[in-house]
Amino acid sequence: MTQNSYTDSNIRWIYPLPAILFVALLMVFPVLYTTYISLTNWTLTSGTAPSFIGLSNYGQVLLEPRFLQALWRTFVFTFSAVAVEAVLGVAAALLLNRVFVGRSVVKLLLLLPLVATPVAVGIVFNLFYDPTIGLANYVLESLGLPGSSWISHADTVLFSLVLVDVWQWTPMITLIVLAGLASLSDEPAEAARIDGANEWQIIRLITLPMVMPVIVTAVILRLIDALKTFDIIFAMTGGGPGYASETLNLIGYKYSFEYFRMGQAAVILMVLFLIVLACSVAITRLGKRIER
Amino acid sequence: MASLQIVDVRKAYGPTRVIHGVDIAIDDGEFVILVGPSGCGKSTLLRMIAGLESITGGEIRIGPRVVNDVPPKDRDIAMVFQNYALYPHMTVAENMAFSMKLRKAPKPEIEKRVSEAAEILGLTKLLDRYPRQLSGGQRQRVAMGRAIVRDPQVFLFDEPLSNLDAKLRVQMRTEIKQLHQRLKTTTVYVTHDQIEAMTMADKIVVMHDGVVEQIGAPLELYDRPANLFVAGFIGSPSMNFLKGHLQGGRFVSDSGIALPVANAPAASDGKPIIYGIRPEHFILDDTNGLSAEVSVVEPTGSETQVFAKFAGSDVVGVFRERVNAKPGQQIRVIPDPNLGHLFDEQTGKRI
Amino acid sequence: MKAVGLRILFYLAVVLLALIVLLPFLWMLISSLKTQIDIVAWPPKFIFSPTLQNYYKVFGEQDFIRYFINSTIVAVFAVGVSLLLGLPAAYSIARFSQRRLAMVILLARLMPGISFLMPWYIIFSRLGLMDSYVALVLSHVLITLPIVVWIMSSYFETIPLELEESAMVDGASRHYIFLKIILPLSGPGIITATTLSFIFSWNNFLFSQVLSMEKTRTLPIAVFNFLSYADIDWGGVMAASVAIMAPALVLTMIFQRYVVSGLTMGAVKG
Repeated sequence: MTQNSYTDSNIRWIYPLPAILFVALLMVFPVLYTTYISLTNWTLTSGTAPSFIGLSNYGQVLLEPRFLQALWRTFVFTFSAVAVEAVLGVAAALLLNRVFVGRSVVKLLLLLPLVATPVAVGIVFNLFYDPTIGLANYVLESLGLPGSSWISHADTVLFSLVLVDVWQWTPMITLIVLAGLASLSDEPAEAARIDGANEWQIIRLITLPMVMPVIVTAVILRLIDALKTFDIIFAMTGGGPGYASETLNLIGYKYSFEYFRMGQAAVILMVLFLIVLACSVAITRLGKRIER
Repeated sequence: MASLQIVDVRKAYGPTRVIHGVDIAIDDGEFVILVGPSGCGKSTLLRMIAGLESITGGEIRIGPRVVNDVPPKDRDIAMVFQNYALYPHMTVAENMAFSMKLRKAPKPEIEKRVSEAAEILGLTKLLDRYPRQLSGGQRQRVAMGRAIVRDPQVFLFDEPLSNLDAKLRVQMRTEIKQLHQRLKTTTVYVTHDQIEAMTMADKIVVMHDGVVEQIGAPLELYDRPANLFVAGFIGSPSMNFLKGHLQGGRFVSDSGIALPVANAPAASDGKPIIYGIRPEHFILDDTNGLSAEVSVVEPTGSETQVFAKFAGSDVVGVFRERVNAKPGQQIRVIPDPNLGHLFDEQTGKRI
Repeated sequence: MKAVGLRILFYLAVVLLALIVLLPFLWMLISSLKTQIDIVAWPPKFIFSPTLQNYYKVFGEQDFIRYFINSTIVAVFAVGVSLLLGLPAAYSIARFSQRRLAMVILLARLMPGISFLMPWYIIFSRLGLMDSYVALVLSHVLITLPIVVWIMSSYFETIPLELEESAMVDGASRHYIFLKIILPLSGPGIITATTLSFIFSWNNFLFSQVLSMEKTRTLPIAVFNFLSYADIDWGGVMAASVAIMAPALVLTMIFQRYVVSGLTMGAVKG
């Protein structure tokens, strides 16, 4: 009985405790450890213990052209992919937001890219993009257009990767916005119809503004995930040709697990971590504002 | 402003027919209430007038114009929705100005109309607020303001008070009625609440299962219900019904109790009859009254409701007097002979 | 007339959309049924005699079955551990509105996995846990736990508080209420959380790529390794890709409703 009442009155920390400990051990501690490593000159292959060198890793890495290019490329990839996904995703949601034969089939189809193994998706697109046997160039040539070198050339590789991300993740925005649209009451749109709005005006002046908080949340979620894109890039190009498709995530991986320059890798990881953290803080701020 | 004609209007969703040929004539400036239990088709009919539902058969005319195929925006109507349908991302002023903006009315004109409407409804101080910052009653007023600004031919209300608490509902009832007296715009108002219908309407249309049961002024419906459904639907507590037959100018219940009936038609002798008497038309009479066994007594202060066994049926009586009977005791009551209603048991029609 | 035209236009748009979504899957499936000669043919062949030889090769010659089992073990244990840790935490978050705690656990979902991976790599090496199921499962739990907590805390919030209060008045302890009243009512939520976290663990590439070697290698790594041969055996890779995607796709088709609600949850709640 006393046992029971003790658990009962302390349930609010007993229940979450194991999860908290787990997260502390596997997330908080590693981040602190990474911070520490970023201040040392450690390389795993040298066999020597890490020695403290202050901020000199930061000075070195943050000025390195390869890093700066990867940083810039991460933003270009993220924003162009998510911008296209947002426009297409919302458009598709507005298109599908009605009763029609086969609606549930289309909704199921939209789910499939979201749960498809990214590495395998990357590989399939590799076959698409193959300059000699790929379907992509076949389609272009059938339309009378010149073939592209897709992922095998530095000028086109980033665009080709954006296309894959767009294919895989546009449905995410569509599904979220569709759910948002379904949660709206029909009344305001009907009121607007009586007030004299045509279909396009209803969408532009009533429906879109009402569903905007949902769109914004979906876009920010996508931004955070796109910043971290790793699997498809690693599987399709490994950051190449040359360094032409290296993003922060890729370069962080290479410094850690190919060059084993842990100190410098830690700096890259810190930068990526802080960017994503900033975005996450933004999403919670936004959430609070919408709640009010 | 305009009259509204509903001629043999029908509605079906595929094979399911929900409205079976409804005729209603509404005069210019009239306040008409469609009332009936949920699912009777009253909201569907209203939405057909608005143009939000297509018309399967028949004709709807606003003024001289048949509007069957006219889109809502060109029907010159305004509608107040059950959940107010305020645009959540627009201020009160923007909500009210929306329809005029769409019509590209000049700005000063819009401002003038909005401030007039706000004045009428006491919304002037709230014009810059958003709907989420308003109370239920204020939202209701904004929804009406949006309709007023339009200065339409016809106002449509779809259960506008059902989301308000009881006190506010009574207050808004009065306000809507005052508004109508001031603007004199033809109004069609849907509700399931017969008290709303009785208190507000110039004319009530009682609907049931997709047909019109009776059309008439509130007291006409109360005093002379055309059939059993209307008799039972209008009035609260509901009318009491006793089964039996007529005999020599008196009603004899199945349990053998005879009740006096003023001017009973002699031709109906022996035919199965349902006798209806409103709770407030029972009279306490210790000398001539018939005995009734009390089961529950509910004093409300101004009156007393007594549930009792009378002439073999459960009935309720409402009395201005205080009744001190305890459950199980007998009281003596008599129905007012001039105020009984007789209905044919087979057809349900008034005799 | 105009309405009919619009209707046709609408269906054309829907079909086009469906085709774009389906094309990579279809091409993967078609290619997996082709011989190497048919695959490298130009122009690409749409009519050919299908063969299962790629599948025989993948499941026969390679250690593919073992990777399949590895993936299953890791995903099942990761899901199990996250339910064990996540359900009570989610309940507490929902009942006591512990927003900050929710954010901390959610951060694990939002943060880039690679920023934890380097320290894990070092620590697991020191502990001799490289290429062990333990290390792999723990890393995957960091992906699946936030999913469970996120979905279940939203779900628990929908269970009326009155139910618990009535049980409390009846004399049940919190623990008893959680086990005997809350959990039995949470079937749909648990299905959603389980399906999604299984799929996400199944699809994970990065953690397994770094933490596993020959013994615990999971499917995504195995498929990826196909690519490293100089002359790519496209038919084999495609058959392997079909094999790896099939479980997630089938789960999704079975639990479509749950997967949709899991993926769109939160965003809509605002």
